[in-house]
Amino acid sequence: MADLRLQIRQTRPIPLSVDLECATGHLLALVGPSGSGKSTLLRMIAGLSRPQSGYIACGGQVWFDNNNHMTPQQRRTGYVPQHYGLFPHMSALENVKAGLHHLATSEQLKRAREWLARMHLDGLQQRKPAELSGGQQQRVALARALASDPSILLLDEPFSAVDSSTREKLYSELAELKRQLLIPIIMVTHDLNEALLLADHMTLINHGHTLQSGVPRDIMAHPCNEAAAQLVGMHNLFDGEIIEHDAVQSCTRLRLGAHVLDSPYRPQLTPGTSVRWAIPDNGVRFRAISRAESVNSHNRLEVMVSKLLTLGDEVRLSMQIGSVSAPLLANIPLRLATELNLAAGQHTAVVLRAGDIHIFANHE
Amino acid sequence: MLKKIEIQLNIFTLLLCLLSSSVSISALAATTNIAAASDLKFALEELALSFEKQSGQTLALTFGSSGTFATQIRHGAPFQLFLSADEDYVLKLHADGYTLDQGILYAVGRIALLAPASSPLILDSELKGLAALMQQGKLQRFAIANPKHAPYGQRAQEALQHAGLWQDIQPKLIFGENVSQAAQFAVSGSAEGGIVALSLTKSPQMAKLGHYAVIPAEWHTPLKQRMVLLKGVDATAQAFYAYLQQPTARAVLRRYGFTLPGESE
Amino acid sequence: MDWTALWLSLQLGFMTILLLIPAALFGARWLAYRRFTGKPLLEALLAVPLVLPPTVMGYYLLVVLGAQSPVGHWIMHWTGQPLVFHFSGLLIASLIVNIPFAVQPMQRAFEAIPQDIRDAAACCGMSSWRALLNVELPLAWPGVLTAMVLSFAHTLGEFGVVLMVGGSLPGETRTIAISIYDRVQALDFDSAGQMSLILLVFSAAVLALANGLSGRFGRSHG
Repeated sequence: MADLRLQIRQTRPIPLSVDLECATGHLLALVGPSGSGKSTLLRMIAGLSRPQSGYIACGGQVWFDNNNHMTPQQRRTGYVPQHYGLFPHMSALENVKAGLHHLATSEQLKRAREWLARMHLDGLQQRKPAELSGGQQQRVALARALASDPSILLLDEPFSAVDSSTREKLYSELAELKRQLLIPIIMVTHDLNEALLLADHMTLINHGHTLQSGVPRDIMAHPCNEAAAQLVGMHNLFDGEIIEHDAVQSCTRLRLGAHVLDSPYRPQLTPGTSVRWAIPDNGVRFRAISRAESVNSHNRLEVMVSKLLTLGDEVRLSMQIGSVSAPLLANIPLRLATELNLAAGQHTAVVLRAGDIHIFANHE
Repeated sequence: MLKKIEIQLNIFTLLLCLLSSSVSISALAATTNIAAASDLKFALEELALSFEKQSGQTLALTFGSSGTFATQIRHGAPFQLFLSADEDYVLKLHADGYTLDQGILYAVGRIALLAPASSPLILDSELKGLAALMQQGKLQRFAIANPKHAPYGQRAQEALQHAGLWQDIQPKLIFGENVSQAAQFAVSGSAEGGIVALSLTKSPQMAKLGHYAVIPAEWHTPLKQRMVLLKGVDATAQAFYAYLQQPTARAVLRRYGFTLPGESE
Repeated sequence: MDWTALWLSLQLGFMTILLLIPAALFGARWLAYRRFTGKPLLEALLAVPLVLPPTVMGYYLLVVLGAQSPVGHWIMHWTGQPLVFHFSGLLIASLIVNIPFAVQPMQRAFEAIPQDIRDAAACCGMSSWRALLNVELPLAWPGVLTAMVLSFAHTLGEFGVVLMVGGSLPGETRTIAISIYDRVQALDFDSAGQMSLILLVFSAAVLALANGLSGRFGRSHG
């Protein structure tokens, strides 16, 4: 039961109000824009920064509460800072050994060599950090963090400084490590794809507040509010009004301007209330339309392309739905745009897939 | 690794210095320190040399302005013998309890007009040449010791006042910390001339660099130079004090232009 | 050539860095790592000797430590001699006057250590002391060396303060700078010129050595 539990409340120097949990062997992704406080949280878990109030416990050991603050040295965390923090005057081997001074020298060397081998860094032991590539540096930093057998692994944007091909390799290695280590892993990132690939759990943080916690896929599909939606990349946000609930068809009808849309059945919402709702990019369908047919699909909307931007193989569209002020945004492949003859000022039709419409419970 | 060697070397060197300096400090506690007015610069050095040869003991001489020394002694400067250019300083120190006794008059000093070899200044005892140079507008700078704390500076001022030149010469004056520095200014070419101690102009070094004319003694208050032993004096200082009153010492002082007490010019 | 004076100056320089650098190192490190209200004020205070005329410093030392002051009396009572007009007085003056030369280079050097590295050292379980020896000093040593060199060179050149509280006593407070001044007054330009040249060459050599060392080894860390 080496879980991490955290609750932080503070107003200075930066406001924070966060609750977190991470189970052993799981990876928790902390996602948020820069300045949201995620790096600060990581440092607090490591013991490098003292919160105003709250508690932090790992594996039953209370690391911080209102009477007590254990130092980083006492906590035994494996911490990999954003730029790795490798000691530039020491070789890779010496860096990894740095955390092992409580062991006998022969044991230190043995362990350090083992970990370097495990991270596929054989033959690079004597090199200084300046002589290693970004990916190699990252692995040394990981080896250093893990060699001392820590009770938790903390990673601060571990992949932001490496190129994409190295990144792919590192993802696999981290996933593999996760299986082998039996400790909680907390990873700060602003990249949602990374979170989707690696994390068992995700917590969204903005302005020092937890917005939403849960399984990444769920959060992506059902952000709890507008701020969360924007963080997970949902750009299509609209006003709407609940018209009615249809228990037979199992859907709730929603007004958007002059249109009526079907959306997932949410009987708890009172008809007549104004709501905010969102739909992800892939909920906006173009192929359901074919020029010859006039299929009366649910949620079919006539739109006008107000902006069209071609970027390589992709086309970014901004469309106007009747008199609705908020634009409908979508990215589609170039060949589809060509097929549909899309251009600025062109009229076309789209279907909003009912199941992808997500209504926010609170008006925030 | 190199850093460690560096650190060790430095520590070693520094400890060595610490050790030797503590040795030197304790040795210095035994030095006989003598404060002497700057006009005695050359005369006293000669006298100290012969004393050291004769007695086998060492003296540490410090030269400066009498006023500065008086202040330093009040602040605890460890001098054992003070040779002032003005007896007022000695008498005041005695009144305030810093000295063994009232001391003794050892010489009467004189001032002289000094000019470097290259100067346009014509030397004469009545300062007429100086007045002429000033009227021609050719006097740029004139050096005297600082009248505030140097007796020779005060007397220079008095002499210039007597000659009626003080008002006009004021903007041209440069002040030496003590009369030695004034003499150095006067011959170095930074000034057309100056009024300094006669004893300084009589030294061989000065003779090479400039010429002088003695200024009449009536033009200023006499420079009664008094010396005194201070509290905490040691045997060497006392011996030197006695030595300076011997005929041989008096002869040397006479050679440097001093009038001895009890003798006329 | 006044060898006593030169030796005295060297002693003053060595003792100043022996006593000042360790204390300044911990002070500089503390300042580098902390942020608190009033820090700018404290830093300004420590930098005052940079702009204070040496004679002002000398004046205050005379007033505070001289035989006529309470502190001076106390010292006289316990040691039998005053601080002023003694090597110890010069040393105290030198320690105070060199504070900015010692603290600032080291503070900059510690500040330049990336936060990530210090964080990593702490999470590696290194105590503050171990981190200083194994991580921080190997990275900040050019700053420490600069501090030592600047303080030493500055001490060699000290004049105003020494004049005020020293009294130019040979072998005790007549440093080489004072000796040069004395020689000029005595019209002994040969001697003055000799000593000045030695000082110039010595200072330049020490600075060049320090720069060379920190350049060569500093570069090895990239």
